[in-house]
Amino acid sequence: MSRLSAAERALQLTTVCCGLLVAAMLVLMLVLAWPLLHSGQLLSLIGGDWQPAAGRYGIAPMLAASLLLAISAVLLAIPLSLGTAFAAVALAPPFLRSPLMLCVRLMAGIPTVIYGFAAVFALVPLMRQWIGSGSGFTLLTATLVLAVLIAPTMIVFFVGGLRAVPQGYSLAADALGCRPVDKLLYLLLPQAAPAITAGIVMGLGRALGDTMIGLMLAGNSAIMPDSMLSTGRTLTSHIALVIAADFSSMEFKSIFACGIVLYLLTAALVAILRRTLPLPATARP
Amino acid sequence: MTTTMNGKIRTEKLSFSYGERLLLGDISVEFADQAITAITGPSGTGKSTLLTVFNRLWEEIGGGALRGRVLLRLEGRWQDIHAAEMPVSMLRRRVGMVFQTPNPLPMSISANLAFPLKLAGIEDKQEIAARSREALLRVHLLTEVEDRLGSDARLLSGGQQQRLCLARALMLHPEVLLLDEPTSSLDPKACTGIEELLLELKESCAIVLVSHYQDQISRIADQVYLLGERTLLRQR
Repeated sequence: MSRLSAAERALQLTTVCCGLLVAAMLVLMLVLAWPLLHSGQLLSLIGGDWQPAAGRYGIAPMLAASLLLAISAVLLAIPLSLGTAFAAVALAPPFLRSPLMLCVRLMAGIPTVIYGFAAVFALVPLMRQWIGSGSGFTLLTATLVLAVLIAPTMIVFFVGGLRAVPQGYSLAADALGCRPVDKLLYLLLPQAAPAITAGIVMGLGRALGDTMIGLMLAGNSAIMPDSMLSTGRTLTSHIALVIAADFSSMEFKSIFACGIVLYLLTAALVAILRRTLPLPATARP
Repeated sequence: MTTTMNGKIRTEKLSFSYGERLLLGDISVEFADQAITAITGPSGTGKSTLLTVFNRLWEEIGGGALRGRVLLRLEGRWQDIHAAEMPVSMLRRRVGMVFQTPNPLPMSISANLAFPLKLAGIEDKQEIAARSREALLRVHLLTEVEDRLGSDARLLSGGQQQRLCLARALMLHPEVLLLDEPTSSLDPKACTGIEELLLELKESCAIVLVSHYQDQISRIADQVYLLGERTLLRQR
């Protein structure tokens, strides 16, 4: 009993440490961005454009590109991941299900830079040809690859949720004459909704936080994107590009403001999803 | 094996094994229509497995291997249940099943009852309501649940859940009803009610009942088979 209590105390302590670490990261970013925030540029920082030569360090274009890219990628990845998960759980012939999941896990392990590298040579020329002008480095190009990149994470969550439905329910449905597709739609999908939501949240978090795909494929122009075919620079790409600037410059300090925005944005999106979509009871705040 | 005119289910040299373990060996038997056929025998001899052979549910469990033929007499002619012209979903809509452990689906009482109709493409709300009411009445559950049809079926007591599962199996008016110890979770009064219902139901379908209760078998069964040592021996 006492050993269990000690284990519980250790877990509580770990939880508190994790919470403090997350809070400390926010505080650190606030401290480092303070000179810029203190100079009364908060509104122009969030809503303005990026013209460092003119002393304007606005991140609105990057914020818009990040949101556009992440949300589009998740919307594209949802049907792709659901379809793959359905195939892996019920629709594909049994002998294909294990190899399919093996491929998914392999895809999850491939470094992001490989995806970006392959897309530069395979997808970008196709996009250039299809659009008819420009370099082919667009938000749409990045979205397509980012959707493929986040899909394995989402598939693993979806498959876990679908497979966790008790076999008793499944057999009862089978005995009533359920076809595999009926079982998926009427039984497995509603039962797996919390895991599917969790997978979407994870996918969104991964899409928002990814640096390499946006950096390699979206074109990196620090301008407000007006369509998916325009170029764009995400917040994470912006941080990666500006981090080489002089440490004492306002330009450098602005990337901490980017970090704060990314931090709050991710937290807000996750909170909204947790409030609006069914999540596992254990994941409820 | 002789073929009777009122046969409903027939097996021809049926063998079934899980891995190396042979459960059923070379069984050729015919179960009558409009009758209750009871299968009894020691635990672990494959009685429940035999039931799942008749609606091909063993295929969903995995690990099994079947040899031989299983035929069902539908519309006056014997049809192989593994034939391509009989999709497994269609077979299972004609062969209802109730399990030993009640297994209501994770939805409301009314949704549980409507589920088989939905699968069969019946969506008329009045028809669904009428059939649900009729099925609940037949299993003596209507008065207990009619004021809470929208509540979660899993909140019912074990006995109520089992009667709901029986009602659900009756929704599509099956031609064969497979019952795996259906009264094991019922109190004596509900058990008597179900037995009376089975006697009514056998007028319109063939019932195959797995049961350990000898008194129940002697009360309601028309044919009795003992399953043991991989063979099925007719006792009555």
